[in-house]
Amino acid sequence: MLTIKNLHATVEGEEILKGINLEIKAGEIHAIMGPNGSGKSTLAKIIAGHPSYEVTRGEIIYEGEDLAEMDPDERARKGVFMAFQYPVEIPGVSNSMLMRESYNEIRKEQGLDPLDPLEFEDYITEKLNLVEMDAKFLERNVNAGFSGGEKKRNEILQMAVLNPRLSLLDETDSGLDIDALRIVSEGINKLSGKENAVMLVTHYQRILNYITPDYVHVLVNGQIQKSGGKELAIKLEEHGYEWVTAKTEVNGEAK
Amino acid sequence: MTDITKETNFLDRMIDSHGPMQTGYDRVTELRRKAADDITGRDLPTTRHEEWKYCSLKKLSRESFIPAAEIAQPDLPDNIADYIYPEAEHHHLTFINGVYSEKWSKTDKLPQGVIVANLADVLDEGNPVALEHIGQYARWEDDPFVPLNTSVFRDGAFIHVPASVKIEDPIQLLFINTDEKEQYFMTPRCLVVGERSSEITVVEDHVGFGDNVYFNAPVSEIKLAENSHMTHVKLQRDSRKAYHISRLAADISRDSNYKSYAVQLGSQLSRSDVKAVLTDENTHATLDGLVMVNGDQLSDTHSIMDHTMPNCTSHQLHKCIIDDEGTSVFNGKIFVRQDAQKTDAFQENRNLQLSDSGTAYAKPQLEIFADDVSCSHGATIGQLDPDQVFYLKTRGLHESQTREILTYGFALDVIESIPVASIQERLSKEVEKFTKASNSIKQLV
Ligand SMILES: Nc1ncnc2c1ncn2[C@@H]1O[C@H](COP(=O)(O)OP(=O)(O)OP(=O)(O)O)[C@@H](O)[C@H]1O
Ligand SMILES: [Mg+2]
Repeated sequence: MLTIKNLHATVEGEEILKGINLEIKAGEIHAIMGPNGSGKSTLAKIIAGHPSYEVTRGEIIYEGEDLAEMDPDERARKGVFMAFQYPVEIPGVSNSMLMRESYNEIRKEQGLDPLDPLEFEDYITEKLNLVEMDAKFLERNVNAGFSGGEKKRNEILQMAVLNPRLSLLDETDSGLDIDALRIVSEGINKLSGKENAVMLVTHYQRILNYITPDYVHVLVNGQIQKSGGKELAIKLEEHGYEWVTAKTEVNGEAK
Repeated sequence: MTDITKETNFLDRMIDSHGPMQTGYDRVTELRRKAADDITGRDLPTTRHEEWKYCSLKKLSRESFIPAAEIAQPDLPDNIADYIYPEAEHHHLTFINGVYSEKWSKTDKLPQGVIVANLADVLDEGNPVALEHIGQYARWEDDPFVPLNTSVFRDGAFIHVPASVKIEDPIQLLFINTDEKEQYFMTPRCLVVGERSSEITVVEDHVGFGDNVYFNAPVSEIKLAENSHMTHVKLQRDSRKAYHISRLAADISRDSNYKSYAVQLGSQLSRSDVKAVLTDENTHATLDGLVMVNGDQLSDTHSIMDHTMPNCTSHQLHKCIIDDEGTSVFNGKIFVRQDAQKTDAFQENRNLQLSDSGTAYAKPQLEIFADDVSCSHGATIGQLDPDQVFYLKTRGLHESQTREILTYGFALDVIESIPVASIQERLSKEVEKFTKASNSIKQLV
């Protein structure tokens, strides 16, 4: 579904990603871990098409298409979804209105008729239940005045509504209380199937108790330094990132 | 008629075109004569004039206009009723090219004693309240446009609310300007007098039906007696080739509250001077504004908030949205006179630039002569927030939808404070129309 080859990217002239290689297949869940500032959000934003980042080398192929020439909205309509680490507040548009417009754009792309407000209400009620969210959040302006945890849950509600093929979840677990973490994780599990894939950025092994990743990658200083199965996350929890960096340096010197 | 010097002077041409001066009660005749004397032989201000620095009248001065009342049969579409807001169904006055239209006006269901009528009729009848207040408040130093209106005005609105009367639903003053071959001009005049403890909402709506050149020069005067409330919404949606130069003055007495929301959407050139004088203690005035300019439109707002007495508050939120080669100008003067201790004045001018080629000029001007006051003012110019743009795009929304949503979000706090639901709806449609009309769909991020 997604193939990233030797991806180098800069922001304001500074190189942040320094040769990322990553292959995500349908049905897979990939966890991305790594220290602060290592480039995890940058990677997610570049896949989603953020214009501030410049890809200087390498390529991102999604469903056989090069993403380089595609605007973020086009990517979204083709099934790429990003749940933000810091979801933005949008005054002037209600949550339900945004989700209906978004969903209808995606339906249009798929050659389906748009849902009218009543049909959409039925549709979204089901999704609200999935993330156990109160309907009152629908009428509020997007993320406006939402608590940190509410914003994160709202991102997953949007994921549920849009039913993306590839979900980039950037620290969706941070800021969630214990119950919310379980509910949101269960929601993500229900939404992921054979047809879609998830890239999950996280700092904590905690969420991986609920969501079993097929792969764990450790991103350090703009490169994937280590990849493994879910046991890698447990090891990281015990030994910290220094363990990865130290080891690679030793390897480097040994060569 | 063949006097060459007069031919070249815009103001003289305008007054002369109206023929001999209207007569009537002494007070009005005197007012007109004085006004005409005031501007005879005078030129329009130029951009060398400090108050007109960014607003050139050169093009206007070369235009010729006939009095709108001379158009025998205006080209009137049959959907005029659509322009009446449902809330004002029972009380609205309609003016077609500045001329009062009885057919399209209605003043049912008004409380006892309230007058909502054509100003010309009221003055002809010698209504003492109208005679007392007309011409008292719209005073600007050195300004030709109030005298221009005063010297030739006829029709307009007179609203008188007796003491302790509260009118909940808005009264609409609908000024329809039709699409004609002739270039015409009109000078609508409004006078609103709210007596002690009265309450009223007035919607002044200027609508151009075509894409033609005309000149609209309205003047409105508001007098609020003690403890009265007025909400005043003005929508300027004149033709995109029109000139709209308006004056609005409010005189606000003790314990009163005047709120004005002025929305400028139409005209190639619109200039709006608004003035609120807080004449006594414990009064409040709001002068909010929303301006949208695109193409080569220019919209200039000059405001004066005059605090003369202690313990008064004022609020000014003026928002401008600028696209294409549009220009917005805001000059906000706040006077806090020596006696006006404990004044609390707020002023903010925010400009949203949707294109690289638009221009916004902002000039807050505070003149404070009292020492115990709180005055805040600020002016900002910015683009759409790239993080918000990106967020919406990751939800699959197109460039145009993204612009629309965020532009609406920018305008929202002004729109939401207008207490008439159908005007709020109207404005959300106007924002949609505006964002879709952009000359070039620009890449935002
Ligand atoms: N727009 C930007 N301008 C300047 N520097 C940037 C910008 N965006 C990211 N960076 C820098 O790029 C580096 C990687 O940032 P990124 O947000 O991808 O880190 P991260 O791995 O997600 O960190 P965290 O775990 O704290 O979320 C950081 O050093 C950050 O300061
Ligand atoms: Mg991050």
